[in-house]
Amino acid sequence: MKSYFDIIALNIREHKDNIHQVMKLSVADLKKTYNGSALGWAWAVIKPVFTLFVYWFAISIGLRSGGDVGGYPFILWLVSGMVSWFFMGDAITGGTNCIRRYSYLVTKMKYPVMTIPTFTSLALLIVHLILVAVVILIFWIMGYPPTIYLVQLPFYMLLMFLFFNSWSLFAGLISAIGKDFSNLVKSFNIAVFWLSGILWNVENVADNKIVHTILMLNPVTFICYGYRNCFINKVWFFEEPEKLICFVCWYLVMGFLSLWAYKKLRKEIPDVL
Amino acid sequence: MKDTVIKFDNVTKIYKLYSSTRKRLLGIFLKNVGYKKKRAVDAVNFEIERGESVALFGKNGAGKSTILKMITGVTFPTSGDITVNGRVSALLELTSGFDLEFSGRENIYLKGHILGLSDKEIKELEETIIEFSELGDYIDQPVRTYSSGMKSRLGFAINVNIRPEILIVDEALSVGDTAFRVKCKEKVSEIIEKDNVTLLFVTHQTAVAEEFCTRGIVMKNGQLIFDGGVHEASEYYKEMYNMN
Repeated sequence: MKSYFDIIALNIREHKDNIHQVMKLSVADLKKTYNGSALGWAWAVIKPVFTLFVYWFAISIGLRSGGDVGGYPFILWLVSGMVSWFFMGDAITGGTNCIRRYSYLVTKMKYPVMTIPTFTSLALLIVHLILVAVVILIFWIMGYPPTIYLVQLPFYMLLMFLFFNSWSLFAGLISAIGKDFSNLVKSFNIAVFWLSGILWNVENVADNKIVHTILMLNPVTFICYGYRNCFINKVWFFEEPEKLICFVCWYLVMGFLSLWAYKKLRKEIPDVL
Repeated sequence: MKDTVIKFDNVTKIYKLYSSTRKRLLGIFLKNVGYKKKRAVDAVNFEIERGESVALFGKNGAGKSTILKMITGVTFPTSGDITVNGRVSALLELTSGFDLEFSGRENIYLKGHILGLSDKEIKELEETIIEFSELGDYIDQPVRTYSSGMKSRLGFAINVNIRPEILIVDEALSVGDTAFRVKCKEKVSEIIEKDNVTLLFVTHQTAVAEEFCTRGIVMKNGQLIFDGGVHEASEYYKEMYNMN
């Protein structure tokens, strides 16, 4: 059996040799998602706007909470973190189904399996870029033009992409063996959403050191707060190195898990799907 | 000089049969989850040279499809080595292998890209493929709206026209109406003769195999039990069939 280093080398080679196909397939994946509906592409924006409105309504009007955060209206604070969740939430569930969704690439032809999560994540990233542009525009319209801190946004995007790409390979392979895993992830997704400080400020529980630290260790919180650091808090990523180091550790664990799953399951997947 | 394109060296394929999905899932994490072993291909050796056309005979479950899948690189042997040199085009289960949400035309591009053809190369082949498939205006409709005959025609048209070096045909020549079948046969004969394509042909109709092939291999219960001229192989297979 191959070693982990061989798999890393294979991973790089598969991506290098198939970069052209990966690009084509990510665009095709988007088409596949939005084809067959009359409004097509508009759904990529309508769905998140609607979700955002519902949460804003529930918190600001319903719970009479949601005051200004750091001098910004609550809705802006909400949207700046929420935009990253729209990617992460879709990547958590979508990544879990990526290999099942493209089972014909595994069982009907010879195709580099490790690039399947890459092009599905890339498709999500394209939508994400559009949404980020919309968010920047909203900030501008409401009187907050872009600041220099926005230049670190691509850095956070890259971290987010890499992390969830590894997740998709791991989760996609496991759920190809049994659908139970994708059901597990669906339930777990709700927990992640509520525990990651997307709707409420984790700083609110800062007086409870243990809970605060645990919440801050969460990689989803890291990305969400990274986005808020760019838009609202005006903090550079190198000002909080311990958080970045913690995220990198998570990434290494996730990377290892995905390689482990590949090594273990690559030969079994075509016989099962 | 020998120019081997496909080589099987003591190849064995064992399928793991778990009694339930739950067990299979547990089997990822635990070592002591029991499963049954099914030996689909058992210590098979053969070599095929460039330009040869080989028929593969055997009853259902003899291991033919598993062998073809291993040649295409879709599935992997449990032990032994397989060497394949050349672009493989497989006509396995023609009605699948499409993205159902895409139109026929988009599927042509998708398949082309996956096989590593450039946009320009696909564009050159596009018209030939559409014409061959006889789909007409349907080519721009989503594949999920196609009948099985239409899917087979498109699958066949794509696979024989993308300039394969090794062509694998699994019962595929029995698709469509008589006229289309005749056209398929002519096309296959043409590319074998003209482009020196290596052909692997699986069928239960020995007569069709004898038309195309020069060599025959007979499989039984995962083992290779006869390898020789196509007529002898065909006789051997028929006798085996009659005995049971």
